[in-house]
Amino acid sequence: MQTYIEKIREIAARLLKEETVEMVIGFQEGTIPMISPPMSVRTVEDVEQLTWSSHCCINLANYLTDTKGKVAVFAKGCDCRSIVNHIAEGKVQREDVVIIGVPCHGMMERHTIISLFGEEIEEVVEEDDGTVTVRGKGREEKYQRSDLMRQNCRVCVHRNPVLYDELVGDLVEVPADIRRHEEVEKIEALGTDERWEFFEDLIATCIRCYACRDSCPTCYCPTCFVDEAQPQWVGKGDEEPDVMTFHILRAFHTAGRCTDCGACVSSCPMGIDMRAFTKKLEKDCLDLWDWEAGQTADERPALETFQPSDPEDNFK
Amino acid sequence: MRILQIDKKDWSAGLEQSRKDYTLIGPVKEGNNVSKFRELAADEEPDFSITTTTMSPKSVVFPQSEVMFTFTTDSGSPDCNIMQAPETNYSPRAVIGIRPFDALAMNIVKMNFDTPEYRDPYWCDAYEACTFVGLAVTDPESCDFSTSTGTGPFDRQGLDVLLVDSGDSFLAEVLTDKGEAWMNSAGFDREADTDAEKVITAMRADAEKKIASTVKFANIDKKETLDLYNEEYWESISFPCLNCGTCTYACPTCWCFDIQDETAHKKGRRMKNWDSCMFPNFTIHTTGHNPRDTKLMRVRQRFMHKLKYHQSKYGKGIMCVGCGRCVTSCPVNIDIREVCRQMNS
Amino acid sequence: MLTHIGIEPERLQFSWISSAESTKFIDVVTEVTEAVRKVGPNTKLVKNMVREP
Repeated sequence: MQTYIEKIREIAARLLKEETVEMVIGFQEGTIPMISPPMSVRTVEDVEQLTWSSHCCINLANYLTDTKGKVAVFAKGCDCRSIVNHIAEGKVQREDVVIIGVPCHGMMERHTIISLFGEEIEEVVEEDDGTVTVRGKGREEKYQRSDLMRQNCRVCVHRNPVLYDELVGDLVEVPADIRRHEEVEKIEALGTDERWEFFEDLIATCIRCYACRDSCPTCYCPTCFVDEAQPQWVGKGDEEPDVMTFHILRAFHTAGRCTDCGACVSSCPMGIDMRAFTKKLEKDCLDLWDWEAGQTADERPALETFQPSDPEDNFK
Repeated sequence: MRILQIDKKDWSAGLEQSRKDYTLIGPVKEGNNVSKFRELAADEEPDFSITTTTMSPKSVVFPQSEVMFTFTTDSGSPDCNIMQAPETNYSPRAVIGIRPFDALAMNIVKMNFDTPEYRDPYWCDAYEACTFVGLAVTDPESCDFSTSTGTGPFDRQGLDVLLVDSGDSFLAEVLTDKGEAWMNSAGFDREADTDAEKVITAMRADAEKKIASTVKFANIDKKETLDLYNEEYWESISFPCLNCGTCTYACPTCWCFDIQDETAHKKGRRMKNWDSCMFPNFTIHTTGHNPRDTKLMRVRQRFMHKLKYHQSKYGKGIMCVGCGRCVTSCPVNIDIREVCRQMNS
Repeated sequence: MLTHIGIEPERLQFSWISSAESTKFIDVVTEVTEAVRKVGPNTKLVKNMVREP
């Protein structure tokens, strides 16, 4: 981790000094444990605030949509694919972004750590031996880092950046035996009403804050469908049909574009794993059209095009 | 002020007994390690192990979604185009386990909904039906900076009763007639020992000492509004903001709402839903013009409102009770304490 | 997506029918109508305009 941090600061300082970019987007230390929030750096002096940790859960590609001028962005595997998706969709020009790839060892899930520890957490320290020390009021516990991983990181097969100008470290190995869609398969094994109950429970605590939508790089509509009023497509309150509609429709809009970066789950103040909606669509894109989001900017995304040979098994 | 003593072994029975006169509302755990205030089911008790609920009790008097009125546009109906009052239930409810910072927040929000010029019936009727049986904070969380904001772990503002957990029993400061009424209804009427006041005072000092976080804002009040408005630090503060509604929804002093009609054929209802100044369309005009159409403007406005405008308008300190929810919930760790420090420097 | 979240698959069906295939249209519509009737009135994702206080 420390070598990453040093390299990150070195690269950022160089890019700013040489005026290759006007702004560098990275992560900084949080004011509370278990979060490394995004920051923008414009001067060489501020480069010292850049950091890296296993709490860099936000997808920085999300900040590319409105920037003017040339920027550099630190991108882990999933974020990088989101940038590729942005390029394919014309949201950012390749020549306007310097991509500094960060081969990723996975990020930790704040809610998991809180659940396991059971009390208020004061400090979380990642040790060199793959363990994590968690300290609370007069108490300390040790966990295996692998037990604290975010679910999307556990099943990730794209840990290395696919497109980059520079790397901050060596490429990482991806285990061969990952069952990418085991969570989807678990739901597919349920009966119709059981599934409905599962999803009802999942969104029961949703407060329509839209943190999931706003942290998602694929969600960049000038006016989101839930914010329309003339006509009003979806109710704006907390009633279940509206909350459910928001989630399924938003997920549907991300089909073939979502890179399972997990920023949505990490942003949710209620800890809802709304990836239950999107992971299914990722599986469908693979099964139906052999399509994965963000692998290349040279092909049109799956839901933007069609082939006469597209499967139609479910058509009467 | 009377101080009564409730042995913990009598607590459940008393709660149960008060149900004949009150609907009970309290903090409960839900979903994935989150918590909120809601009506307690028949066998449920308020969960006092939660110090700061994820969502504040503001939803008790200011629900996320509320029907303002219903209507029909069916010309065949005698009620055509007549606004019908919604079904409401303002029978007495006891909010048990509300923390002092949240009770002060109710007072702050009341300044908006109950003014000499206008009394909002939805908020005020719900508020007046409530008896607030507060629970002192003996173990403040690390983001609790309530002693800086005019309240504190054992503060009495906005409460009808203040319960203090003193081990085998609760000491109960009965602060108002409403508080007295609830205690009677629950059958809690035993006077505490004469040293109860001293015990509470000592526990209060202990709790206040444990508060690890503070903010200062006197300079913000002295500074010129436009000087604060034009500061350069708003760019770096607002950069990570997602413009979601998390901070405003979690905040017990945020009161903004949006009014939307929902119609189905000839039936309709007017809904009042929480709104957030963080949402891009919060300030959009019917002309299409949006005076706060950049993220920086919206983030700046939020902190100016909380830390500057409210002080200027009411002279009663900041529009923040130091509960720390925005700090712990913000997906990108925008920290109001840090912003306050910058604005106050 | 809909079947994944637990909406009965009979409720949403797809078919390519040209405007020249009137008999196919009749057959498919009849079949789908009967299939949906068998599943019964939908209770999921239904917006109820009545809100309990």
